[in-house]
Amino acid sequence: MTTADLLAHFFGASATGITISNKIATGYAKVGDQDVCVIGTVDGTYIDNAAALQMSEQVLDCVRSKPGVPIVMLVDSEGQEPNRTAEMLGLPVYFGHLLTCLQVAREAGHKLITVATGKAIGGAFICYGMFADSIYALDSATVGLMPVEAMSAVTKIPVAILEELSKTLPALEFGAAPFALLGGVKAVWPTDETLADKLSAAIAAATPEDTRAALGKERGGRPQAYDVQQRVLAESAR
Amino acid sequence: MEAFQQSFPSHALAWPPSRKWALAGVVGSGNLEVLIEPNPAAPDTVSYSVETPIPGYRDSWLAALSDFSAHYAVGGTTITLHDQGAPPVVVKLRLRQALDLLTSAQS
Amino acid sequence: MSLTPYHELKARERIAVIADAGSFREILPPPERVMSTYLPKLGIPVSFDDGLAIGHATIGGKPVYLAAQVGQFVGGSVGEVHSAKLVGLLKSAARDKIPCVFLIESGGVRLHEGSSGEIGIAEAIRAVFSCRAAGATTLAVIGSDIGAYGGMGILSSCCDFRLMTEHGRLGISGPIVIEKWMGKQAFDSANRALVWKTSGGKTRYVLGDADLLVNDSADSVRAGIISFLSKSAKPDLAMVEARQASLEARLEKFGQISDPDEIWKTCGITDIAAASLAEAEDFAKSFHPQNS
Repeated sequence: MTTADLLAHFFGASATGITISNKIATGYAKVGDQDVCVIGTVDGTYIDNAAALQMSEQVLDCVRSKPGVPIVMLVDSEGQEPNRTAEMLGLPVYFGHLLTCLQVAREAGHKLITVATGKAIGGAFICYGMFADSIYALDSATVGLMPVEAMSAVTKIPVAILEELSKTLPALEFGAAPFALLGGVKAVWPTDETLADKLSAAIAAATPEDTRAALGKERGGRPQAYDVQQRVLAESAR
Repeated sequence: MEAFQQSFPSHALAWPPSRKWALAGVVGSGNLEVLIEPNPAAPDTVSYSVETPIPGYRDSWLAALSDFSAHYAVGGTTITLHDQGAPPVVVKLRLRQALDLLTSAQS
Repeated sequence: MSLTPYHELKARERIAVIADAGSFREILPPPERVMSTYLPKLGIPVSFDDGLAIGHATIGGKPVYLAAQVGQFVGGSVGEVHSAKLVGLLKSAARDKIPCVFLIESGGVRLHEGSSGEIGIAEAIRAVFSCRAAGATTLAVIGSDIGAYGGMGILSSCCDFRLMTEHGRLGISGPIVIEKWMGKQAFDSANRALVWKTSGGKTRYVLGDADLLVNDSADSVRAGIISFLSKSAKPDLAMVEARQASLEARLEKFGQISDPDEIWKTCGITDIAAASLAEAEDFAKSFHPQNS
């Protein structure tokens, strides 16, 4: 599916309000009758310092000029391209700034909703998409830390062993469905004509509380996280 | 991973524990972490629990632990070791460090 | 131990020299055995604290929550339990409205635990901002050779402040990954001077990413931490607008440069060799950071 088709599925004719420059989407559109701000990555692009600034500038524009308008974050990114200049100029700080802008938006009353539409990998996802009030993924999205082959190359654990383990450990499986079992996304959506309605409903239902750990426990994908967090809170209160 | 438990007789701790537990070392390459906990129910016995990623050295481990138990007063403790390929000299060092910390004067 | 360089200290030794004597009360200490369930399945040794010691302490008499990462254990990487401890600690700090200090030594998400560590770090980042909203100062102390990379680099960049030493590095992709991608000609990961000039404390300080640069000693790091405990940097529109402008200016001014020495020169450092050798606090006194 082309980017244009994807945007049309979510935003209909209002997708014309979205500009794509250097594979970074920014602008304003409508989901049903609701005005929304849109930021995101398309075509599996890499996120570098400049791309982060493109998105943060859009967030700031929204905070300045569009009170109460929800921010929809689309994710289709390969991650960050390893680059000496990007690192020298402080890439983590650019990511931190984007996240801080999103926090300012949240505190000003803007809801934050993410849909992973394609690749949603590691740092590219953490630096904006995973910060939302509610996070969703298309069933075709490749969501997770990294594919098994890459994991194997770095850890030196054979692919066969990782693949066998991933059958019982969804954390090691790359994809939208296992990521949902971990509580990483609220739900997985098929790419069909109901996307705009689903996004509308998601925006309406969004609350700022981070419920991912509880969800991961409930669904069984992350059995320890919630309990450990709660134990720390209980012990620190004593 | 290889795991085994073994208890040995040992003289009771020379000084009372100054804390509920002590930890020495870290789980890093060529190193290990040792957790020592008082076990007052068995004052003349030390119980070891070892986990190591390097198979085939069980006898060496048991000999080293038996030796340590004979030369140091660690009776009345449980000692758990998470090994990551530590040579015997490092194992002995960490065991001694853990024992020293458990009974040391400062809290 | 206070004479040992900070970067050579292990996590628990750092806690011992940073916290007021005897004040550290560990939460979920080793005997609780809250450990990874993934690593045993991969035949990898576990650690009692999953590579993170957390607790409550006082520093200079002020109550804080304190965390120290064990860089020797799977590279200080963040798995499910490790990240859950971070989140619990941050939520405790937000609840109690006291500072949360991180002694960071991590390559980022623990690959062996896949997406669980990734989601855990994302939760921790949200919890950092909850602290900031509640007025609980969050401080990233980056003074180890391993540095703060990947998801921990991002988390550090979300804290109110970053305190660095010359040895600390702040980045996303590590030097070996960069060399693999760009080739050894373009970036030689064995060239320590280049690696540290690219991501290390001095360059980060010059560019304004580190709020304070201190000497590599326990006393200096401790004094640096104390200086932040009664400060906070609550994010608001004015602050992020200024940051946006400064980060844009940085790209414009330095975007075509590949040699960190050029940045130092542009920032007024004339004797690069002397500056490279200078002790951190002398360096910081002489060379003023770019406007952040």
